Amino acid sequence: MFGRSRSWVGGGHGRSSRNIHSLDHLKYLYHVLTKNTTVTEQNRNLLVETIRSITEILIWGDQNDSSVFDFFLEKNMFVFFLNILRQKSGRYVCVQLLQTLNILFENIGHETSLYYLLSNNYVNSIIVHKFDFSDEEIMAYYISFLKTLSLKLNKHTVHFFYNEHTNDFALYTEAIKFFNHPESMVRIAVRTITLNVYKVDNQAMLHYIRDKTAVPYFSNLVWFIGSHVIELDNCVQTDEEHRNRGKLSDLVAEHLDHLHYLNDILIIRCDFLNDVLTEHLLDSLFLPLYVHSLEHPDKGGERPKISLPVSLYLLSQVFLIIHHAPLVNSLAEVILNGDLSQTFGKTEQDVQRSAKPGVRGFVKPTETLERSLEINKHKGRRRQQRRPNYKNLGEEEEEERPPAPAPTPTPEEPEDADKARAPEGGPKGVKASGDSEEIEMVIMERSKLELAAGPTLQEQNTTDEEKSAAGGLDGPPWSRPFLDMVHHALDSPEDDYHALFVLCLLYAMSHNRGMDPEKLRRVQLPVPNEAEKTAYNHLLAESLIRIMGSAAQPDAKIRLATLELSCLLLRQQVVTGEGCIIKDVHLACLEGAREESVHLLRHFYKGEEIFLDMFEDEYRSMTMKPMNVEYLMMDASILLPPTGTPLTGIDFLKRLPCGDVEKTRRAIRVLFMLRALSLQLRGEPETQLPLTREEDLIRTDDVLDLNNSDLMACTVITKDGGLVQRFLAVDIYQMSLVEPDVARLGWGVVKFAGLLQDMQVTGVEDDSRALHITVHRPASSPHSRPFPILQATFVFSDHIRCIIAKQRLAKGRIQARRVKMQRIAALLDLPPQPATEVLGFGLAASAPTQHLPFRFYEHGRRGCSDPTVQRSVFASVDKVPGFAVAQCVSSSAASSPSPPSASGSASGSSTPSATHSPSDDPLATPPPSSLTEPPDPCRTPPRAPPEPGLAPSLTPAPQPPISLLCAPAADALSLDALTLVLPVDPCSLRSLTSGPPGDTPENAPGDPAGDTPSTGLQLQEPVQP
Amino acid sequence: MAYAYLFKYIIIGDTGVGKSCLLLQFTDKRFQPVHDLTIGVEFGARMITIDGKQIKLQIWDTAGQESFRSITRSYYRGAAGALLVYDITRRDTFNHLTTWLEDARQHSNSNMVIMLIGNKSDLESRREVKKEEGEAFAREHGLIFMETSAKTASNVEEAFINTAKEIYEKIQEGVFDINNEANGIKIGPQHAATNATHTGNQGGQQAGGGCC
Repeated sequence: MFGRSRSWVGGGHGRSSRNIHSLDHLKYLYHVLTKNTTVTEQNRNLLVETIRSITEILIWGDQNDSSVFDFFLEKNMFVFFLNILRQKSGRYVCVQLLQTLNILFENIGHETSLYYLLSNNYVNSIIVHKFDFSDEEIMAYYISFLKTLSLKLNKHTVHFFYNEHTNDFALYTEAIKFFNHPESMVRIAVRTITLNVYKVDNQAMLHYIRDKTAVPYFSNLVWFIGSHVIELDNCVQTDEEHRNRGKLSDLVAEHLDHLHYLNDILIIRCDFLNDVLTEHLLDSLFLPLYVHSLEHPDKGGERPKISLPVSLYLLSQVFLIIHHAPLVNSLAEVILNGDLSQTFGKTEQDVQRSAKPGVRGFVKPTETLERSLEINKHKGRRRQQRRPNYKNLGEEEEEERPPAPAPTPTPEEPEDADKARAPEGGPKGVKASGDSEEIEMVIMERSKLELAAGPTLQEQNTTDEEKSAAGGLDGPPWSRPFLDMVHHALDSPEDDYHALFVLCLLYAMSHNRGMDPEKLRRVQLPVPNEAEKTAYNHLLAESLIRIMGSAAQPDAKIRLATLELSCLLLRQQVVTGEGCIIKDVHLACLEGAREESVHLLRHFYKGEEIFLDMFEDEYRSMTMKPMNVEYLMMDASILLPPTGTPLTGIDFLKRLPCGDVEKTRRAIRVLFMLRALSLQLRGEPETQLPLTREEDLIRTDDVLDLNNSDLMACTVITKDGGLVQRFLAVDIYQMSLVEPDVARLGWGVVKFAGLLQDMQVTGVEDDSRALHITVHRPASSPHSRPFPILQATFVFSDHIRCIIAKQRLAKGRIQARRVKMQRIAALLDLPPQPATEVLGFGLAASAPTQHLPFRFYEHGRRGCSDPTVQRSVFASVDKVPGFAVAQCVSSSAASSPSPPSASGSASGSSTPSATHSPSDDPLATPPPSSLTEPPDPCRTPPRAPPEPGLAPSLTPAPQPPISLLCAPAADALSLDALTLVLPVDPCSLRSLTSGPPGDTPENAPGDPAGDTPSTGLQLQEPVQP
Repeated sequence: MAYAYLFKYIIIGDTGVGKSCLLLQFTDKRFQPVHDLTIGVEFGARMITIDGKQIKLQIWDTAGQESFRSITRSYYRGAAGALLVYDITRRDTFNHLTTWLEDARQHSNSNMVIMLIGNKSDLESRREVKKEEGEAFAREHGLIFMETSAKTASNVEEAFINTAKEIYEKIQEGVFDINNEANGIKIGPQHAATNATHTGNQGGQQAGGGCC
């Protein structure tokens, strides 16, 4: 459209011949305007181009020559615009004018220029002009124009828009009429405008907003949100086979948009506006619709209601997003302490006498927003012509019409649809709303008090606290209906559908910044980051541990997300600033669950290559993407009953595993989570994960001592044609390209280092001296792809060297992987595997090992600041290859001559840190046990290494006899705790209670659990022979 | 005025990278870029033709609204395409790309087509970000990449149109649910009649996908 007129103009004016950016040209354009005051078919294009050029000159003037502006104002050129607009000049001209205005206000940089433009109220006349809002494009340009203006609002400019004397604020009132426009971009623009308005610090204006517009706007907004919620619930209820997922996720996203919008208003901290909003939200939405639905489904009768999971889900979102203290505290008060059935049961009788102002209940506003605004405005003012909007456009008779019986604020559906749907979905109250049959509800007396007066609340709290403290820890708090429901939901380990929502809600409430910690403490809900915690909720902790226990079972119905959240909440309960306050008996149960997870994974442990990749990938994704509950609760897919199939596209964490690979992945994750939790609660550092630690790797620019190393000179040709001379060296995990260090002879500077396990080597067809080598970096985030960090052709001096290099790299790759597999085996307390079997490659691989003196670098060999230390370290290390090889030759199928791998495979008890740290180099001590017993396929016992080889710290210290089954009096143990041992499988139960001597794997002394005091495993010590 | 599809775009990136100028340059050629005039706009619409079909692009600039979380997330969600813009003469605008991208991925629907744009390619002498760096970033994150100049109009057309082509292809492949307007795609009024056949096709494709 614009393109067309361009060619027309181009010919007519000769843009190039005259300087179009000048005062003279503006004068000329003014002349054109005066000659064409009436819009006709003939001059339309001319006018459009004239208006456009004026904009351009004005912007140019704002940036370069202010005299242009003076002329514009002097001649009152805005009047021409308005004049043209009022002539019903058609869409083409309208759009051009709106674009012009957009550009004008967007680009004006000088405050004074802006004041000039706004000074004579023309802008307000344009705002209230009746555009044809049924036209998509005009609507878009119009609302953008309002948005652009709202971005210019501040303390000074607000006076140009808000007229205190006439109570006019067209920019705001015109904008909010579109709050439920079907076009999402328009709705977003409206929200932007309102937020920009609330942000302005002008008391008179804000009072006007509150007194004249807040009630109609907020009540309509709340109804609009509620209608979406009921639609959302319908969508969940009527879903079959996950077919509604697309729609559901839109509705959830919409709800989140609403909550974020409400929160954005609340965090502007305009107090008296917030009060009105909070009241509306609580009285007309959150309490009557959300909280009400927590009540037992059979009760409640006629009121609109949503299902329990949906209500839990939405309330979690509320608490995750909104942190406005008055709102969240009142809401939490009702949820935590309210006797839900009573609260809502009462309403029936109270309906008649509750003649309070302001309707409580989820009720449709009796009139449209537009109508309400009008009425408010006309209180004491002359009646004005109503302007049409997209809904009533063309209805000429509207002036005299009474407001429609039930004008619908729902955007997408016509009212009829709404009514038709209501009966089937259950919310029968909805359809009645248009009439006088309003559903009301009374909020608990206490919460009302709270809304009214803060100080009294404090007193109440203290007394309550004292009472509950006196009443003992486990008694009173759990007698509340909500908490009963929580307990009930967590107690069904067969299905975690409800449990996940309950956990989320607990998490959300306890992490809410606006929440009064006292409230949570009263019901012993975990308060995060609390310095001094002395007690925690035993029943909740036990429920959480029970979930963990079930999650470690082979066919568990617990999703990973639920497990992770349980771990999070347990941590939050028992970890304090000083340490961990978990009771021994609970820790023991947790240890049981962890043991189970080891069992579970052992079941899946295979000597396949892919297992290692999976293991490392899971670790990476778990550490790089820790659970974000807010994100979890943004996902609509958890609203539908849990499923196992990946065909739904549901994220792995949020569904059950499907097939062996996924079951393996799940088992890996369960192990990681429970292991991390158990280590943290016992205050121990993680020493075995990740398998390769960043600090053990060689990095670019490291300086290495390469004396006696096998180095292969080669020319590296990168993909973009770069050509460099390098030496290739192979390390335990990595291949590196080095160049000689100029400072020290025999030393090299690393120019590139890449993991052998992520490397691919292929020959080059027409060149026997060359190899193609690609090294990938594992995907750093779920969205990025594996990225090649090296893609190059290596050319060696002859084909023999090329073959050697190829072999070395290939072997290095296998070796690196084998070392890691052995680490995993150690982690799982599995006996060391025969080397030949580990990776499934047989003789061909094991035979050449003897004459392959791999160069394995120690961690400590990296060049560091102190040369003397280096020397001494290297002195010992330099012996390694020869020594190790010599040892290996004797045992034909030695798995690995490298110290770390040997020790790692030999004993589950020695940790990588011990072998890696330069200070206690295992090789400095003469023939350490780890080297003398490289796993020999012929004689490898399926047992852990002999006890004498253990470090003193690793041998279990004798512990006082504690039995889980006879709870010590010191622990205020609830009866429920006793049931915790039951889910454990009989085998491990035996190990916990009697500890049969032959039960090797889980009893291996090297078990990381075995060396800490006061853990579950210690419980078995006394009964061991 | 009739169009087959309407695609909604958003433009994101740090302030001052020239988003609104790119937008005006694309939507309205009559505003000629000259050295002493910087001019932009926050909203624009333009018709283009792809595959013989009239497609309307509606582009919303999100500038100035970053402080409101509700606004940004809604914008992302309502768009079918996003232009992620940085300024090749300012390294920091390039460094912030990851944050922008995370935001976009988090809030947008997964099918949103994102084009990475290095703007101000006319200012070669002040360049701080190499073209290769932009390319590498785009490759790593699966974006389309282009360097543009709102001043010289270089590549501006291509940037917007290539994004549209990508969206159009996705529609043809049945990836986008075109009947759901929340995706930032709208079927034109004139197209509604032929739409019946289209959904038929789409259904068939989905069924095909289901069995493998």
